Amino acid sequence: MPISFLLMVNKQGQTRLSSYYEWISMVERSALESEIIRKCLSRSELQCSFVEYRGYKVVYRRYASLFFIVGSRLSKDGNDNPENELGMLEFIHNLVETMDKWAGSICELDIMYQLEQVHFLLDEMVMNGYIVETNKMNVLRPLDLMERENQKSESMYR
Amino acid sequence: MSLKLRDLIRKVRACKTAAEERAVIAKESAMIRTAIREEQEHYRHRNVAKLLFMHMLGYPTHFGQLECLKLIASPHFPEKRIGYLGMMLLLSEEADVLMLSTNSLKNDMNSKNKFIAGLSLCTIGNLATADMSRDLAPEVDKHLKGGMPYLRKKANLAMARCLTKCPDMVEDFVDRVVTLLKDKNHGVLITVVQLMTQVLLIDSRNAEEEGEDPFETDCRKAFLRLVPMLVKMLRNLLGSGYSPEYDVGGISDPFLQVQLLTLLRLLGTQNETASEEMNDVLAQVATNTESSKNAGNAILYECVQTIMGIESEDGLRVLAVNILGRFLLNRDNNIRYVALNTLSRCIVEQQYTGDGNVPTESANTASAALQKHRQTVVDCLKDPDISIRQRALELIYYMVNQGNVESLAAELLNYLVLCPREHRRDICTRIFRVVEKFSPDDRWRVDTLITMLTIAGREASRDVQSATVIYISRSPPDIHAYATHKLVKAIRDDDGSQRGLLVVGVWCIGEYGDLLLNPYSYTPSVRNNDATTSAPVSITFMALDAVSVVEAIKTIIDRHSCPEYVKERALTSFAKLSDRFADKGDVAALDMLAKLIKKHEVSHSLELQLRSCEYAALINASKGIKTIITKPAAEEEDLFGLADNGGDSGESVSASVINAAKEALSRMPVVDLKVLRKKQEDAFGSGTMPSGNYPVEASAPASGGGDLLDLNDMFGGEAPASAPAPAQNGSSGGGGEAPKSDLDLLSDIFAATPSSAPVNAASTGGGGGFDIFSTPASQSTPAPANPIDLFGSPPAMSMPTPASQNSNPLDIFGAPPPVQSQPAAMMATPNRRQHHRRYDSKDAEYRRRSYLCFHPDEKNRCRRCTATHQEISDYLVLFLPCYPKLMACGNQEHWMVLGGKRTPILDVKLNTKWLGYDLLTLTL
Repeated sequence: MPISFLLMVNKQGQTRLSSYYEWISMVERSALESEIIRKCLSRSELQCSFVEYRGYKVVYRRYASLFFIVGSRLSKDGNDNPENELGMLEFIHNLVETMDKWAGSICELDIMYQLEQVHFLLDEMVMNGYIVETNKMNVLRPLDLMERENQKSESMYR
Repeated sequence: MSLKLRDLIRKVRACKTAAEERAVIAKESAMIRTAIREEQEHYRHRNVAKLLFMHMLGYPTHFGQLECLKLIASPHFPEKRIGYLGMMLLLSEEADVLMLSTNSLKNDMNSKNKFIAGLSLCTIGNLATADMSRDLAPEVDKHLKGGMPYLRKKANLAMARCLTKCPDMVEDFVDRVVTLLKDKNHGVLITVVQLMTQVLLIDSRNAEEEGEDPFETDCRKAFLRLVPMLVKMLRNLLGSGYSPEYDVGGISDPFLQVQLLTLLRLLGTQNETASEEMNDVLAQVATNTESSKNAGNAILYECVQTIMGIESEDGLRVLAVNILGRFLLNRDNNIRYVALNTLSRCIVEQQYTGDGNVPTESANTASAALQKHRQTVVDCLKDPDISIRQRALELIYYMVNQGNVESLAAELLNYLVLCPREHRRDICTRIFRVVEKFSPDDRWRVDTLITMLTIAGREASRDVQSATVIYISRSPPDIHAYATHKLVKAIRDDDGSQRGLLVVGVWCIGEYGDLLLNPYSYTPSVRNNDATTSAPVSITFMALDAVSVVEAIKTIIDRHSCPEYVKERALTSFAKLSDRFADKGDVAALDMLAKLIKKHEVSHSLELQLRSCEYAALINASKGIKTIITKPAAEEEDLFGLADNGGDSGESVSASVINAAKEALSRMPVVDLKVLRKKQEDAFGSGTMPSGNYPVEASAPASGGGDLLDLNDMFGGEAPASAPAPAQNGSSGGGGEAPKSDLDLLSDIFAATPSSAPVNAASTGGGGGFDIFSTPASQSTPAPANPIDLFGSPPAMSMPTPASQNSNPLDIFGAPPPVQSQPAAMMATPNRRQHHRRYDSKDAEYRRRSYLCFHPDEKNRCRRCTATHQEISDYLVLFLPCYPKLMACGNQEHWMVLGGKRTPILDVKLNTKWLGYDLLTLTL
């Protein structure tokens, strides 16, 4: 089952990045986000990293002060293509490693102030909820090249 | 001018409150709107970036949608890039403006710059609608054949999106994948495998819609030909050794492996040949994958799922179950979680497929392998993580069978002690179902159920309690004695909080009290296997004497915390005991019982009072003593003068009455069989209902309608029609001395059964009480002399209105009520103190009888007029300090809580005046 949404949340429960791969209305989004974040944050280290909530299988992983939360839809009959939770955990780790490599040591502020950059990175790795690329070099090289392209025409924002 | 993105973020971060943040955002959105309106091209790109930030925070950003489209049309790369990003995040696929982007997307896809083409493909993959998919699919298709892997992988997923949106295009597409599978680039491979998975799912959905066999489509057949290729790819990954590009902890590309296994699962489902082709490689994956790292476990997990999903060999299935068994031993909670999850899914599927026909050999071996890991699963019940415990519980519940029920039930009981309160009820029900289904013998079943109630009698549901009673009563007499002895012991050890235990215990003591007077011992026979470690120990219970049996129950009801329904049952139990002990010659015990029964004659609980009076009358009747006689000659006036005749006790009753009373005593049931059966059918499925030798069955037909197997029906059904209604004196002998102020008004209206039932009334203070048993309605001739048959012709009630007999409590006997309209009698009495007892039973059998009375201090008051109201089934009797107000505000505005529901009062009618009370009829 493809990923439905991906969130990066700090320890205070503030969303730092959100990416949805299925359309959920804004009202629902904020309700869902706050509810899931609350659930994930309240769990102890001892508990397993999987939560089922409102028809979503939520897999989360904590890195220092940052939570990475991935949700995917539970299939209705439960058996036609069950989510590989461990694989998802591994993917989160892969994502974090890639981001680490990209920004040195990734932290909350990096994500906040370079929101669009992180989105670009994410787009290289996930598309419509499916995994595109897991090799760090293959993700970062095009990003780098694009950044150079960007420099050519002067940057106007920020 | 609007802020820079950085400044905006800084400002938002500096906000202390949510309101402050909203203000900042509102100001900024206003700026952006102005900029958009004024077409400030220069800032467009910065504004969209800010909108992305605001969007993430959850603020509306719809006004920026068109800006995104303008940006993607820009020739500059940075603008295009942010424009596409904005599109993907801010637009939904429902947005109308999306159509406008089709052309830009098409142009960009054909751009020479691969990054621009990549952005376009990415956007299609994330957003394309059905219309766009149709338009753009050919262009996407070009990239599938194109030279750049960077674009090929994106095109794969863009294509997957297009096909999801337009399922009919699937067929034209199938042959394209063969070349893609030969690709060297892992990014292309993982995407193409996902694409194939997607195509297969769409295809089988298509086939199902058209009514074809989803396993026989052309597309699937074409893909099945690719199975050897996929297998080879997987094998290469396994054997490739260290490949730095996609290595994760020593495993080459776990993501690709997982996706491949998923695809193989889809292809192997219900296909023998394909499954056979996979067997080898699956075994290889299962044995060769290293499980020390999460990545390896992810592969193993997927592999297990595939093995379980396809038509694999037995050996492979056992291997899979063993992998899961190994997972269960892992210290990582995540891994144990998936293992438990997968195991329960496998069992459910096996039971599902094995249902009806003979379970296949493979299912047997796999489940046999599973049983080996039983202990590991049981250990998971002790895990600190509650979600693990819950999963384990679920799994154990599925694992139980005839062979292991004893040990697993013991484990479940152990867990019951430890688990949080709120889960106990559910677990009790589950233990009960397990016991019900697999119990090896009666003794064990009764034993387990009693132990369960000892642990969680407080939380166990009523169904479980009642069913326990039924199981005890169904078992052979030997078990009766055993269970009762055990229960007496458990009750004595208990602190009175395990209500379920009390209910069952009190019933059993009442029913089998005589068995307690004998000692009991039991020596379990040696089992043929050595599974039971302990040597057979004989169980011995000492004989109890009658007084201590009664004491045991008395201790329960003397507790302050004892709930009313236990007291009610205790009363029934006393009544039964007085029958059981009647021939034992223990006078002290019988006296004690008689006292205990009478104790509640003045109870504040109507039900207790009712039972108390009824049972006392019944016991007296069985001894041949008539407590009070209503003289046949007494005319209506005499009805209210009865208290004066209170002394006329001691007359004998006819032998038939004695017999009837004795019979009633000996057969007195406590479980409402019908209600229980219905519940059981709902909850546990039909066919499990104990029936047959249940003692109640015998008396049921005798009692007319038979749906209320309580004392009432027995009276109604079995008492001879001609029997003079035994009436009984209330608490105090001297009637009529009660002052006016101390007046009691109790009214009972009978509605439920065809055969009218006895009604009781009694006074609390000095007022005399009396009880009259009406003639059953099923009998054709009600005694003409019976003056109390007031409600003989409903709904209009003609009430005798004697002038001065205020001090008498009254009984009203109802005939069956009119079915459609539901009148409610209402007593109104403005200036008198009324005693009100709350009647509040959850039992369906009691709810159908309508006992009503009130107290001015009662909290449940009508909202509008402060009328006190009391909720009982079909009827509602109100008693109003403010009757005129009710009339005034009347009708729909007025409502009562009835059966937990708000019920409007449609009409209030003054029916009659009676004894200075207004008797009202409410139409609900």
